[in-house]
Amino acid sequence: MSTTLRTIGQVDRAIQILLCLLMVFLVIDVSWQVVTRFILPEPSSYTEEIARFLLIWIGLLGAAHAYRSRMHLGIDIISEKLQGRSKTTATLFVYLVCAVFAIAVLIIGGLNLVLLTLELKQASASLGVRMGLVYLCLPLSGLLIVLYTLEMVINHYSNKNHPRGR
Amino acid sequence: MDISVLVLVITFVVLLLVNVPIAIAIAAATLVTMLLTVDALPAVTTIAQRMSAGMDSFALLAIPFFILSGYLMGQGGIAKRLIEFARVIVGRLPGGLAFVNVIACALFGSISGSAVAATSAIGGFMIPAMEKEGYDREFSTAVTVTASTTGLLIPPSNILIIFSLASGGVSIAALFIAGYLPGLLVAGSLMIVCGIYAKKRGYPVGEKIPLSEALSKMLGAIPSLFLIFLVIGGIIGGYFTPTEAGAIAVLYSLLLSMCLYREIKPRDLPDILQKSVTTTSIVMLLIGASAAMSWLLSYENIPQMISASILGLTNEKILILLLVNLILLAVGTFMDMTPAVLIFTPILMPIMDSLGISPLHFGIIMILNLSIGLCTPPVGSVLFVGCSIGKTRITSVIKPLMPLYFAMFGALALVTAFPSISEALPRALGLY
Repeated sequence: MSTTLRTIGQVDRAIQILLCLLMVFLVIDVSWQVVTRFILPEPSSYTEEIARFLLIWIGLLGAAHAYRSRMHLGIDIISEKLQGRSKTTATLFVYLVCAVFAIAVLIIGGLNLVLLTLELKQASASLGVRMGLVYLCLPLSGLLIVLYTLEMVINHYSNKNHPRGR
Repeated sequence: MDISVLVLVITFVVLLLVNVPIAIAIAAATLVTMLLTVDALPAVTTIAQRMSAGMDSFALLAIPFFILSGYLMGQGGIAKRLIEFARVIVGRLPGGLAFVNVIACALFGSISGSAVAATSAIGGFMIPAMEKEGYDREFSTAVTVTASTTGLLIPPSNILIIFSLASGGVSIAALFIAGYLPGLLVAGSLMIVCGIYAKKRGYPVGEKIPLSEALSKMLGAIPSLFLIFLVIGGIIGGYFTPTEAGAIAVLYSLLLSMCLYREIKPRDLPDILQKSVTTTSIVMLLIGASAAMSWLLSYENIPQMISASILGLTNEKILILLLVNLILLAVGTFMDMTPAVLIFTPILMPIMDSLGISPLHFGIIMILNLSIGLCTPPVGSVLFVGCSIGKTRITSVIKPLMPLYFAMFGALALVTAFPSISEALPRALGLY
């Protein structure tokens, strides 16, 4: 169990580093676009596409990381008041909804979208990147959310006899 | 059609109440509703596709940049200098520090795009400073929370970018300029209330600042204030797009806080990047999920249905505007701003069109309404952040918030009744 938890922690650390690098790349990319606009007669068209794709990746992978750190906005006025059994039920129900969303929409729907666009050989306008590869962040993010939900459930049960943190 | 609306609303509300993250609740409610009429695989694929399409826009890219530059400004000494600048100007008035707070929030709003950033950057300095001079913590928090929403109207503004997207491409430059007067109007109304409150409570006048010190503080703020000209001037003058202006704002605030003010060290950067990425992705997931729900609504012809039923009630422009204000206030109380704009703009826009209300005017009305919602429980992200920074409880901030809500309602009434408050500046600049 503890190795599973440790591995999940390491995965999240790696995602965190990747996200920071993507963000730095995003700033450099768009700044370069401004530079080319003023120096070259025609602004580069590929920087815009790179930036858009980076944003989708940052958005979805970051959303998974934010999910793990419980940063997404929610309404906790009712769940805060719950205690004992009903609190456990509510917490597990939330995990279930998140996991179902991740599996159904992000993993199955996302993967199907990836396969469809790859099959149609749909490519981006100026870089010619296969759109299927851009959409790959959907199932990836879904996989992470499932993984993090698993971690939360394990933590939930292993901390059961102790007062819970956070 | 009616059944699907019912299913959508009920699923969404139930999921929200058990504390499912809002973005996931939106997507899940959309999925459940779609499953009534569509097979499972096409349904999940459509939602995945709509989510990624909703996030795929060059205009949206301004958001991570303004978020990142907001963090840089807060930590890098820019926020501090704006406060000093405001203190020199209004610190000597009765209730001076409350005025300083409002003006600093408005100034911060004019270089950054988000109210939460303003709350944490300005509130982090101002709430303790006000407490030290004898203001009570709850009042100081309430002032910070309401004043920081002026940044949503005063450009650059992330939410106006999202509105531009939701409304089908109203010019971002025109929206930005349209926000100036309404934003200042809100700031002014808040200051009136602060003045009355301070007089009643006998809050102190700020310390006198020697002329030489005042001058050096004004000078120190100039590089920070220059950002306004750089960002807004660049956008209005057509030198760069809002997204590019965002990237410039990041580079400029990085340069300022690392080289000139020297308050950010290279080792602080990973943490700042990390925070910006997380904030960005929270907004992006909301955008993706809302785009999916908004698509479903238009697929089910909901906007037409609602506009027909509202226009069937009355044709009186004032009554409809009043009704729309009430709807938006209610929505803002229970929903975060980003999904509210993305979901309700396509629904209400046709009504506004048929009444001849310009998208600029409507956009400002909408953002001002939802700004009030950001300061009210149960869903009020600015209020939450403000209370955690001010280390007070939401229930105890409500009382000092009341007169400030009143000020915001006053500004809302004026903005609703007089379109020219929103339209005059963009028209004068030839943007509209």
